Amino acid sequence: MAATEDAEEGRRPRAPLAALTQAALALPIVLASARAGAAQVGEVGFAALGYKERGLIKVTEPVLWGRLQVDDVWEFEASGALDIVTGASPELVTNLPGTPVQSVTGASINDRRRTAQLRAKRRFGDFSLSVSRAVSNEEDYHSHAFAIQGEADLDQHRTTLAIGLGKSNDRVGSSIDPALDERRDTREYLAGVTQVLSPLAVVQSTLTVTRGKGWFNDPYKSTLTFYPDEILPVLFADRRPDHRNAVAWLTRYRRHFPGASGTLQADYRLFRDDWGIRAHTLELAWQQDLGERWSIRPALRYYTQGAADFYSPVVPRPRPEVLSSDQRLGAFGGLSPSLRLVLRLENGLTVEGTAGYVHDAASLRLGGGGSEAFTTLRAVYGILSLSRAF
Amino acid sequence: MRASLAVLALLAAAACTPVAPYQRGYLARPDMAMEPAQAGTAKALEKTYSAKEAAFGGASVGGGGCGCN
Repeated sequence: MAATEDAEEGRRPRAPLAALTQAALALPIVLASARAGAAQVGEVGFAALGYKERGLIKVTEPVLWGRLQVDDVWEFEASGALDIVTGASPELVTNLPGTPVQSVTGASINDRRRTAQLRAKRRFGDFSLSVSRAVSNEEDYHSHAFAIQGEADLDQHRTTLAIGLGKSNDRVGSSIDPALDERRDTREYLAGVTQVLSPLAVVQSTLTVTRGKGWFNDPYKSTLTFYPDEILPVLFADRRPDHRNAVAWLTRYRRHFPGASGTLQADYRLFRDDWGIRAHTLELAWQQDLGERWSIRPALRYYTQGAADFYSPVVPRPRPEVLSSDQRLGAFGGLSPSLRLVLRLENGLTVEGTAGYVHDAASLRLGGGGSEAFTTLRAVYGILSLSRAF
Repeated sequence: MRASLAVLALLAAAACTPVAPYQRGYLARPDMAMEPAQAGTAKALEKTYSAKEAAFGGASVGGGGCGCN
């Protein structure tokens, strides 16, 4: 499958960009038709992400999206993105130098991921029903997802209840093993409530349960371990359980302070899964108006996680059934400050610029006890986003 | 899990300050939205973090997966 896509890309080297350009050209048509009806509103937008890790990968991602609301009854959303990933990626953890260290791919990788999502929503008085479809394609990974979600507005729209069901059917391949073609199927369940607390405050709490089964191994990761009493080392390919069940509980709070012309935004997520991972994510932000058009948003995101039960940077004896030295399954923490500048013009044009820094390290894990083999990650990113409401 | 459901139920049943429709001007501000960034920014950020961390999800369903090797 990967070889076929390579061949197709060879014949049409600019196909992803051409597809995005084609979609961009189509958006003015949507815009024009929207203006024909007085009750149609929406927006179109474009964003570009640049992300660079020190010594590792670099990601460039253009994103295109549009939203159209018709007569307060129908709402349609569409988005498309192209990830262009280059640079070196971690592939092996070895204790050859004495302590386990991570080594990266010798040759620069060059991967592209194309993704698109469509969503249609129909309102029935105080109830609404939406369906969505998402597709994501990489050389070595293909995902097709579907979701249906219902919402009910209660108590004069002070309370909104939501329930949802999602399904994803993925195929896992490998550019270094053309024979690899395995399934990964995931079901997701969502329940949430949004509550208006006062004229100045609102809170939302959402619980998602994910049940996955199939191939979770990373075909590019392995562990090479030397033993003092053995001549030959052991090379262990990444092997994970064939299931993953997870729960994520996200609570978001918004509180506006008219006197200060600013808004507090606080998000907290609790995550746990049956691989033994426990993670907490907290993001605090303050969005400050600077006059009528400008606003600035400093934010700080903190993340901490414990290691998976089968994470180990060395291959123990006797060899276990499942083992991964992928440091994303290790114990670590991360701090990510960011700054966003927003300009809103009267003609409906909004420009957003976001700059951020990511610092992941074993020492940043809450309560200590980070994985010693975790290689500190430092990355910077910038996102420029433009949208036009109509 | 039980704690999560209890909080969801409490929020749903909360007796909060009455808010009339004409008092909802501040609630309609863009910075009061649950997703404060524009759609493109939010999607790019979500993928950036989930590719480097073990935790994922919480806000929605149906987004699909990625290799993210």
